[in-house]
Parts: sequence; structure tokens; C-alpha cells
Amino acid sequence: MSCENVNLVDLARLLRRDVVDTVYRAKDGHPSPALSCADIVAALFFKVLKLDPQNPKWPGRDRFILSKGHACPVLYAALARRGYFSRDELPGLRSLGSCLQGHPCMRKTPGIDMTTGSLGNGISIGVGMAMAAKYLEQDYNTYVIMGDGELEEGIVWEAAMSAVKHKLDNLIVFVDNNGLQSGGKVSDISGLMPIYEKWEAFQWHCQEIDGHNMDEILAAIANAQQAKGKPSLILAHTVKGKGVPFMETDNSWHKRVPTDDEYKEAMEILGGMDCE
Amino acid sequence: MSSYKGSREAFAAAMMQLAEEDPCYVTISPDSMKAMRMVAFAEKYPKRFFEVGIAEQNAVGCAAGMASCGLVPFVATYSGFITMRACEQVRTFVAYPQLNVKLVGANGGIFGGEREGVTHQFFEDLGILRSIPEMTIVVPSDASQVFAATLAIAKRPGPAFLRVANGREAVIFDREIPFEIGKARKLVENGTDVALMTCGFILSRVLKAAEVLKTEGINATVLEVHTLKPLDKAGIASLLGETGAVVTVEDHNVIGGLGSAVAEVIAEHAPAALVRVGLQDVFPESGPAEALLDYYKMGIDDIVKAAKVAMAKRDHRRAG
Repeated sequence: MSCENVNLVDLARLLRRDVVDTVYRAKDGHPSPALSCADIVAALFFKVLKLDPQNPKWPGRDRFILSKGHACPVLYAALARRGYFSRDELPGLRSLGSCLQGHPCMRKTPGIDMTTGSLGNGISIGVGMAMAAKYLEQDYNTYVIMGDGELEEGIVWEAAMSAVKHKLDNLIVFVDNNGLQSGGKVSDISGLMPIYEKWEAFQWHCQEIDGHNMDEILAAIANAQQAKGKPSLILAHTVKGKGVPFMETDNSWHKRVPTDDEYKEAMEILGGMDCE
Repeated sequence: MSSYKGSREAFAAAMMQLAEEDPCYVTISPDSMKAMRMVAFAEKYPKRFFEVGIAEQNAVGCAAGMASCGLVPFVATYSGFITMRACEQVRTFVAYPQLNVKLVGANGGIFGGEREGVTHQFFEDLGILRSIPEMTIVVPSDASQVFAATLAIAKRPGPAFLRVANGREAVIFDREIPFEIGKARKLVENGTDVALMTCGFILSRVLKAAEVLKTEGINATVLEVHTLKPLDKAGIASLLGETGAVVTVEDHNVIGGLGSAVAEVIAEHAPAALVRVGLQDVFPESGPAEALLDYYKMGIDDIVKAAKVAMAKRDHRRAG
């Protein structure tokens, strides 16, 4: 198949292939948190974000922050497929001398707008970027993907309050709500629930979607872009490990490397074909 | 003479000057507008004053985001709330990406925190920051130097921390002399019997101690090490080579700050007898600023005694 005119659903599948392939070849990394947000990343990087891969620091670009930085294999895959660097770099993930750090590093990887990996901080940094846009009278939007587990961090709610005070309607935050974190179910580990009502109570513009339905993702982004005077929260219901059935049912894939057989099985399930 | 009421007012005046020069200079307040004397700035430049509430981690996170978009944000509040509560944001999202964020910490030392007590006396800030790569750390010694240092860190690209106090600091410099980041300077050159190395507002006591020593026939050189990072190792080592005996004087725990920095230079570059005057690794208590320094062994007498001990240690080694 040709890489021209690949639709977003297929692009998400290709990103998932890249994630499995990267972790398998690198022999390290977090596959299932990356698979969880692959559809949202595909929508953003191949449809929504105003970017110029030839000029990664273009001041007018939309900003993107992967707050759940451990999901970076999917971000690296998207950046490579957008042409920020060669896809040959992907298996170098986490190895000495590679531009692909274990968690995103804005100083080492073209196209990364902000260093992340320590959970909870991405939204706060996004608030700063959105405030800068307002102050500089620039029309870019700032997009953040958070995990649900990282909502347990206090800084998230500090940022949530300040985003409302500053009326940051240029800030659009996804919660990749796969229900799992490193140690188990989010609902077992914290008193976080209910998530949607909390953001509503914090006076954000809130939407709830199926985070694997491309039409719903795009429609929610369009709605969020139209919301005035408030930051936007899109609570995306997702499945951790989405697309690889044996990863969907086993949280050990939070950080785990597929065996040869598991790799073959996953790649077959994910279509077996790449575009050229 | 310096016309500032205190070091925070000097910082605020410098911010007014910077704001006039360039709209890239902005401030982020974790409800520190009054504490950091930024009321006039907020009134004159409301669009450049970002209030985020009592949320220091978020203040530093926002600053990282703003700096990544080309602004030069200053986050100014009590030193410990920046260096301890928001330590990780400083380290991972400011220092690691080398973002152009300026951090200004008040109530530095027990002199700065004085009657507020331990929760507002910060004597670990410099040690914490010194262990973080890419940080510039400056510790000016009076209000006019805070003014000059604020301009200096603003013009130097990259992460920087500036320590200020609470308004009780003495006036030392009678004119606006420049602040050269990374260059220690000799302020008294009575002789090479002993070196007194110091940073921050306690410099006023060190200068008096040098006078006392002189009346007793001991000729000291006072070196103001106002930049802890990048440290002027050559300047420090050179003076150590001349005196062979040094007292470090700092309003900070003797662990982690100037005393530790000089000890590292001694160990690696220039053997010398060292006595560290500072807070001796204890939690202090509330009290009047000057009395607190005396009580916790940072008095003029303590510096004088330390100088004699350092010289005796040196002479004993030489004799041995």
C-alpha cells in the first residue's frame, strides 16, 4: 500500500505497528500505554496540528505535550512518519547515543516541544504555553495528552485552576482514560473517580468520547477549538494496549518487551503490512 | 548611596527597568506579588504579570512553558518554595531543557527568614540547586547588587537563581557597580594571613571581622564569591595558594553551600586549612535577624575566632 492518502484509522494502525516494532527491537519501553493513545496521536499529528517538519521550531506552530511521557514510542513514531527524523532512528529508543531518550527530551529530539516523563507536569507547562500565546497574540493552540493515573498528581489541579482563571481557550487537554496505571486499576489505587465531574466542577469545557473512534476524536477537537473563554478537557475512554488483544488484557504490558513469537503475533494482528 | 528599602525592592526596581526595555520579560506569581514587592509592576504591566495562586510547582511549570515560547519569565517567591516544593519542576523542566527561566528566592538564610521560623527560613536552597546541572546561582550581598544581579541573570540565557532577603540587610556598596556572573571579587586586601570567603548579605559582617582582625595584626583578604555556579575555581584556588588558610562565611547550612564548594576546590586544586562558619546542620528558631546570626555562631566574633583557628591549623600542618 502507498503512504499517500492513508486514512487516519490506518495511520493509527501503522503507529501501533511502530510501537510494537520499536519496543521489540529496542528491547525496552512501554508498549501498552503508547497503544492506548495511538488514535489520538494519529488524529493530532496527521490532521489537526499546524506543524512544519522542515522547521520544527516555527513559532506559529501548534504545541503538543505528551504528559504521559512513557508513551513516547507512539510520539516518536508519529514524528518519524511526519518526517522530523528517519524511521531508522526508532529502534535506537533508550540506547546510548540515540536521539530518542527513554522519555521525551526537547533538546535531543526534533519536533518535541517539551521534555516530559515526570507525571502530572505536562498540563502545567501547557498552561504556560497557552498563556504565552495569549500574551504574544499568537493563534496557535496547545494540546496535551495526560494519562488518567497522573491525575493523582497535585500539580494537575493547580494547573487546572490557573487555566480557568486565565481563560485559556487555546488549551486542549486529553485524558487517556484507560483505567490502569503501573500498579493496577486507577479506581483501586486512588480516590480519583469520578473524573469527568471533577473537571466540570473545575469549570473546564468538558467532553467525553470513545478514544479509539476517529470520528469522535476529530469532532471533539473541533468542538474544543470552538469553545470560548474556557480550557477544554476531552475525557477519552481507551483500552490500554489497544489493538493487540493479548496486551489489552494484561497490565504487565505497561512496560514489557515482546518475545519473538509475541512480536510476530502482534504484527500480524496489526495488519502485517506497512505503507511504502 | 543605594536608595532601595531592601533587596526585594531592588529586585522589583530591576524588573521595572527590564520590562521597559523588552516585552519578553514577564513575571509569574504564586501569590507572591506583595511579598516580592511586585505591586507596582503588576499595576503598570498587568499583561506581563501572571498570577497562578499559591501553587509553586505550577508557577515553575508555567514558566517552563512560557520560556519554551520565547519569553523570559521570572518566578519570584520564598526561596524554599521554589527550591524544595518545586524542586523537581526546576530540575526537570527548567534546568534539564536549559530553558530561560529566572528564579528569585526570598528569605534566603536564617537572617532572611528571621522571626518567621524554620518554615520560612531557607538554608538548604543553595545546596539543593548546586547539585542541579545547568543552573546559574547568584547570591548578591546588598540591595544595589541585587538590582545589578537581576539585570545580569536576565541578560544571560539559561536557567538562573537569585537569592534575596527580607529588607534587613545592610547597605555595603555605595554605588551601582556591575555584577559579573562567575567572577569572585576581592573586596579587602589587607594581606595573605588568611582568606575570608563569603556570599550574600552576611558579607557586611565579614567586612567588620576583617577590620577586627587587622586591629589584632592579622591581615585578611575578603573574597566575595557571589556566584556559586559557575564557581570561580581559579580565583578561589589562587587566593588559597596565597593564604593556605580560609574561613567560609555563609547564611546557609555548612553542608551544600559555599563552604562545601570551597572544600571541593581545596580537595581537588589547592590544599588549605578550612573552617566553615554557617548554620551548623541544625534547625534554628524564630528571632530577630541580627541576634539569630549571633546565636547560631555567625557573629563577627565567630568569624574572627574561625580565622585564628584556620591559621593555627595551617601553621600546625606546615610545622608538621
